[in-house]
Amino acid sequence: MSSSPQTEQGHHPSTKQYVLVAIILFAITIVEFFIIFPDKDLIGAAKIPVLVFLSAIKFAIVIMFYMHLKFDHRMFTIFFLAGLALAFAAGIAVLAMFTALGGQPRAYALANAIPYVEGEHGAETAKPTAVPLPTAPPIDSTAPESTTPDAAPTTASTSEEKPSVGSGAAVSLEIGTNGDALEFSESALSADSGSQVTLTFTNGSSAIQHNWVMVKAGARDEVAAAGTAAGPGADWIPAGDDRIIAATGLLNAGASEEVTFTAPAPGTYEFVCTFPGHNFSMFGDFTVK
Amino acid sequence: MAHAAEHAVEETTTGLNHRKMLMWIFLGSDCMFFAALIATYMVYRGQSLNGPYPNDIISVPITTISTFVLLCSSFAMVQALSATNRNDQKWIRIWLLATAFLGAIFIGFQIFEFNSFKNEGLTLGANLFGATFFTLTGFHGAHVTIGIIWLLGMFVVAMKGRLGPASSLDVEILGLYWHFVDIVWIIIFTLLYLIAGFDTGPAPLAGG
Repeated sequence: MSSSPQTEQGHHPSTKQYVLVAIILFAITIVEFFIIFPDKDLIGAAKIPVLVFLSAIKFAIVIMFYMHLKFDHRMFTIFFLAGLALAFAAGIAVLAMFTALGGQPRAYALANAIPYVEGEHGAETAKPTAVPLPTAPPIDSTAPESTTPDAAPTTASTSEEKPSVGSGAAVSLEIGTNGDALEFSESALSADSGSQVTLTFTNGSSAIQHNWVMVKAGARDEVAAAGTAAGPGADWIPAGDDRIIAATGLLNAGASEEVTFTAPAPGTYEFVCTFPGHNFSMFGDFTVK
Repeated sequence: MAHAAEHAVEETTTGLNHRKMLMWIFLGSDCMFFAALIATYMVYRGQSLNGPYPNDIISVPITTISTFVLLCSSFAMVQALSATNRNDQKWIRIWLLATAFLGAIFIGFQIFEFNSFKNEGLTLGANLFGATFFTLTGFHGAHVTIGIIWLLGMFVVAMKGRLGPASSLDVEILGLYWHFVDIVWIIIFTLLYLIAGFDTGPAPLAGG
């Protein structure tokens, strides 16, 4: 009947102490809650260290009193803390490998991710319809960026390939999004070379930001990757990139923007949303006749 | 064999009860298990390329309630051990059942949360947030579920009147496991909900 002397049963806290510990744990949790709710920035940048400190206190109280380490043989504490120390070391090693030592946590996802679109998983990853590309080289994943300089679809080149409608003719185009799906409402747009195109892009999603960027054929994924590197401050668009023909800014849900540009030399171009990850499904062909 | 050993003063090479030591070593190793999952979550924090993001779907008030429930269950657990040491048969049963019941409520909150996240489009394969979030909280939920089964088993033993001061180590080891599940949740709640629960879309890549 008597408890074994090794386990020191008699030294467990009393019910009163257990109640006190529970009250302290509840109080700390309430404090934590009000630090971030309703105003998550109530104490600003101090939030993270304060919350980590408070949870560490809770952690310590539970193992000391509820798990009796304070009253039990020191060997148990040593075993547990050894495991905890190794756990910290493992965690820090993982974080260091992937973030601090030049790691790129997003590299794999950027290269391989297929955006999840409900009900259409994978359907939108097919390559754009193969049409003859008069001026631009065909899309080829191995094509280096150096293929772009010889194609020069800038506004200056329109004079020699004047279309029948004549330069300066105004064209209005509109494009939106398919609701919250990562798709444009149109998979193809067209205009005559040399015409003044006014394109209105309306972001019809309820929560997601988008932009509309017209690029040279085959360049959409590379431009999107460069845009991801440029960051949200640049609207996910790489500044001064000669593969970009026209672009809207980054539009919030429901916003709309017009962009005016001169349709370049005849050929097939692409348009794409360069918000990270959207380029896999949110693109289309822009044909200049 | 185990029952016979408990009644006598155990003589072990370390002078410590080996079952209890085993549980502590297991808990130490389980720390590493959760540390790996938590570190993975933190590595991929803010790296999801498409939504839903934590800020879109995490509900801190609801999870605070379920955190309270789990803290209450830990209190019930220590009371069950206390009743076992007092040989108070009625309260052993009440506190053990209360602990299991509160654990089940916590799991209920988690099922509700997972289900509502799924309806919002967050699945294990939706993005990095979904993959790391469900893996971490799912394994924690599995630990809680195992604890509930263990508690209910102990409750059956208690109903047969077989728990008392002589078997207090059985209840104490169960308690160690249960409290460990609680402290893991203390960490997860702080990191995934209070700190990372307001994360939005991807941050720009460091260093291009």
